[in-house]
Amino acid sequence: MSTLIQFLKKLWILLWRRKFLNELDEEMAFHRAQAAQEFIAGGMTPQAARAAAMRQFGNATKLREQSHQAVAFRVETVVQDLRFSIRQMLRSPGFAVTAVTTLALGIAANVIVFGVLQALVLRPLDVPNAGKVVSLQRSRNDTNFSYLEFRDIRDGQSVFSAVAADRVMDFGLDAIGATHPIWGYEVSGEYFEVVSIKPLLGRLLARADDDHPGAAEVAVLSWGAWKNYFNSDPAIIGKTVRLNKLPYTVIGVTPQGFYGTEKFLQPDVFVPMSNEAEIEKFNWLDGRQNHNIWAIARLKEGINLPQAQADLNTVASRITKQLPKEEAGLTIRVVRPGLLGDTFGAPARAFLVGIMALAGIVLLAACANLGGLFAARTADRTRELAIRMAIGSSRYRILRQVLTEAFLLALLAGLAASALGWAALSGLAAWRPPTSLPIQFAVLPQPSLIVAAGLFSFVAAVLFGIMPLRQILNADPNDAIKSGVGQSGAGRRWALRDILLAAQIALCCITVTAAFVALRGLGRSLNMELGFQPANAVRAQFDLAQAGYSSESAASFQRRLLAAASQLPGVEAIGYANSTPLAIDQSSTAVFSPETTDMRLTNLAFGAPDYSASPGYLAAAGTPLVTGRDVSFADTAKSPPVAIVNQEFGRRLFHTDQVIGRYFKTLSGRPVQIVGVVADGKYETLNEDPKPAIFFPIAQEGNTTTALVVRTHADPIGVTSRDMAAAIRKTILDLDPAIPIQESSVWSSQLGLQLFPARVATVALSLFGAFGLLLSITGTFGLASYSVTKRLRELSIRVALGAQAKQILATALGRMLVLLSIGSTIGLILGAAASRLLSAVVYQASALDPIVLGAVALTMLLTGLVSIVNPVRRALHIDPAGVLREQ
Amino acid sequence: MANKPDLLPGTLDMLILKTLARAPLHGYGVALSIKRLSDDVLTVEEGSLYPALQRLLLQGWVKAEWKMTETKRRARFYTLTAAGRRQLGIELSQYEQMIAAIGRVLSDPKEA
Repeated sequence: MSTLIQFLKKLWILLWRRKFLNELDEEMAFHRAQAAQEFIAGGMTPQAARAAAMRQFGNATKLREQSHQAVAFRVETVVQDLRFSIRQMLRSPGFAVTAVTTLALGIAANVIVFGVLQALVLRPLDVPNAGKVVSLQRSRNDTNFSYLEFRDIRDGQSVFSAVAADRVMDFGLDAIGATHPIWGYEVSGEYFEVVSIKPLLGRLLARADDDHPGAAEVAVLSWGAWKNYFNSDPAIIGKTVRLNKLPYTVIGVTPQGFYGTEKFLQPDVFVPMSNEAEIEKFNWLDGRQNHNIWAIARLKEGINLPQAQADLNTVASRITKQLPKEEAGLTIRVVRPGLLGDTFGAPARAFLVGIMALAGIVLLAACANLGGLFAARTADRTRELAIRMAIGSSRYRILRQVLTEAFLLALLAGLAASALGWAALSGLAAWRPPTSLPIQFAVLPQPSLIVAAGLFSFVAAVLFGIMPLRQILNADPNDAIKSGVGQSGAGRRWALRDILLAAQIALCCITVTAAFVALRGLGRSLNMELGFQPANAVRAQFDLAQAGYSSESAASFQRRLLAAASQLPGVEAIGYANSTPLAIDQSSTAVFSPETTDMRLTNLAFGAPDYSASPGYLAAAGTPLVTGRDVSFADTAKSPPVAIVNQEFGRRLFHTDQVIGRYFKTLSGRPVQIVGVVADGKYETLNEDPKPAIFFPIAQEGNTTTALVVRTHADPIGVTSRDMAAAIRKTILDLDPAIPIQESSVWSSQLGLQLFPARVATVALSLFGAFGLLLSITGTFGLASYSVTKRLRELSIRVALGAQAKQILATALGRMLVLLSIGSTIGLILGAAASRLLSAVVYQASALDPIVLGAVALTMLLTGLVSIVNPVRRALHIDPAGVLREQ
Repeated sequence: MANKPDLLPGTLDMLILKTLARAPLHGYGVALSIKRLSDDVLTVEEGSLYPALQRLLLQGWVKAEWKMTETKRRARFYTLTAAGRRQLGIELSQYEQMIAAIGRVLSDPKEA
């Protein structure tokens, strides 16, 4: 053991050479100073004393070198070791290639996950002094404030140099002869003070631009929009662009690499928030219940997070005191910016940390695998090692050689892993998930990735390099040379490699369990009862405000579109709504019991997702109407308010299914009569618990955002739906070519975003699981073949003496089966415990599902069989005469 | 300086370990202590002292720590470890055997 410690100490000195040499210098300077003082005490002048001390001490640099050499590696021996390692690798290229590949995959997995973790979690926003930027959030699951609340916070706080509101919106941008659906930010005037970036061209939005509605009809373009839509026009400043048909003057362009303040969105334009009503055709600036904006702020110098939180607590209680009715129970939390605060950030962080742990497990398994191979190889070299020791090599020298070989392998693997990780992250950064949102992950590889790869390689090399340690230390030259081929001990005691194999199988089993849990969760989400039928339906989405419509003109356009599209051949049912369940834009209504008279939020019964639907929408969406009637175009703003609710709504508010004709109240205090009940479904996320939901008649309150749903007849191949999607697009543009259609496609494909986290989890975990399986196959196969080879002679004798096939197998491979089952059992238990981490992203993640348990057990059994079938064949077909003659 | 006898080969480590067994010292203190205790007979050259200290550190027989001296200067103090104490025992007994053997060779057989 002490040889290893010495090796590591030397390595430490090599890595921290500068510190080491500085300390030596300081020590010697101290020595000279003390000696000089001695001379002074003896009556010399200080100058003469110093000179005498220097003389006595001699050449300081040379002394330092001598001291260093006493503990440093000698260059010649390092080169020797390297040359020997390369020869060794060339002699068995199969081993070298396997080792490098295994390790490279293990390291790459870690590097990639680390890269994503770094980009999304560890690295701050890409703005100057990013540590000072924070997001504000209402509660753990609610990021949104109303504009008035934002103003109260902005004016009431004393800890931030700037507080800004921002809202991500879709716009219609006229450029290159068409209207493009793009995404951008509506921001308050303080936004660019918070991010404090410098513009690439022109200037950024300032407080004056956002002073009041219509203060300035100006826009800032992102670098990407400037490049893609305006061909990097250097004279863009001062030109007019059309946003939602409104003329806006370009005043600036943001620099490349600035993606706003959410890490997964890439906006194209920034406009003043005060102009929101003319852009969106709906004024939400004045309502306290319109929770539409996100808040982001920059801390003043010298203010820390607890101080900021304390100040915000005061602000919140002051607001509540002033407006006890509207703002009851308001809280404001300071959270990390970049991932929608904690709403998306917390589960994303938890998941990434879990995946990182899994990647670590995979690397450990790879190390155990290689360690086993190394130990086996060293066992084969027992005789060689013995001879080398007999002719004067030290154990330390031999250990160093093995470690050099390990480091060389790890270095090659690290290089391969860096290349692989770089390619994978570049690919991921360029990839866009299948949704209309401009989601793109800023995970471009950083140079620090190579440092990480180097670190992982180093740890791995030490881990598997020290596996043969015991063998080297125990190698006894006399014994080994006397007994000839290293027969001693093989298969008698439990060797280190046996434990390594069991450990490796346990680790691999964890990854396999996680993969199956994720697969099962994804399967469940795909077969879940959604409350509507996305198959055989086409959904087209657009916002008429972007083409300059008001909500009144939008209503008549929607009616004309409905009439035109109903004439298309193949339409079975058709309808529209302002939004549909599981779409990105969800709104909700505050629901009060009919007895409530004081409409304050503390008296709220619950909040329910709401939709404004046209007649026929429910049939087109495939949402079953359980009782009552559909909405009709006769349900207008002038007729008594009515609504359709789902079954959960009735249970929650009235504790009964008989709710037709009963009333509930909204925030305005107006009673709304229930005229129909539909089946429950999923509304905001797939993971949600049953939720109450409301469908209002769209004729009651117009809306420019439009989701047209068309049901076609069943068609397993989907050709009908795709043709229908194109026909719908054409119908819309025939009516008004200026409408920027965000989406017109098969509905099921649009649910991609909802399944996105589960899909990502499943893909990532399946890759880890597959890699884990591969490792356990190679590991088991390697050890099984090895033990058969090692005991060929013994087995031959047994066969010659009449042992039966069963006995031979038990002798040769019985231990393997024990190891496999112990490893699998431990792995399964650990995997079950670990899979709780998945519950944040995977629907109903649980490893205690009999199907998952069964599948894992079966997989491990099959892998075990696959990996030992060849060694078994060899053991059974031993030709004792041949083997014994040879040896 | 020129006429002072060299240290017996192989005894430097033992002398350092023995010196440190009395009390933790810095490098200069070790040299001084050996010089004083030997009444100026034994001088440890700096060129051998510091490499030797590094070797002992590497073997784990001593450990080093930066501390303040009484005169408020930073210095690296060396302390004997348990392993160092064992090693000192081994070296002392080897040394005694060696001296005894040399003594037997040098003593006049007639006197015995």
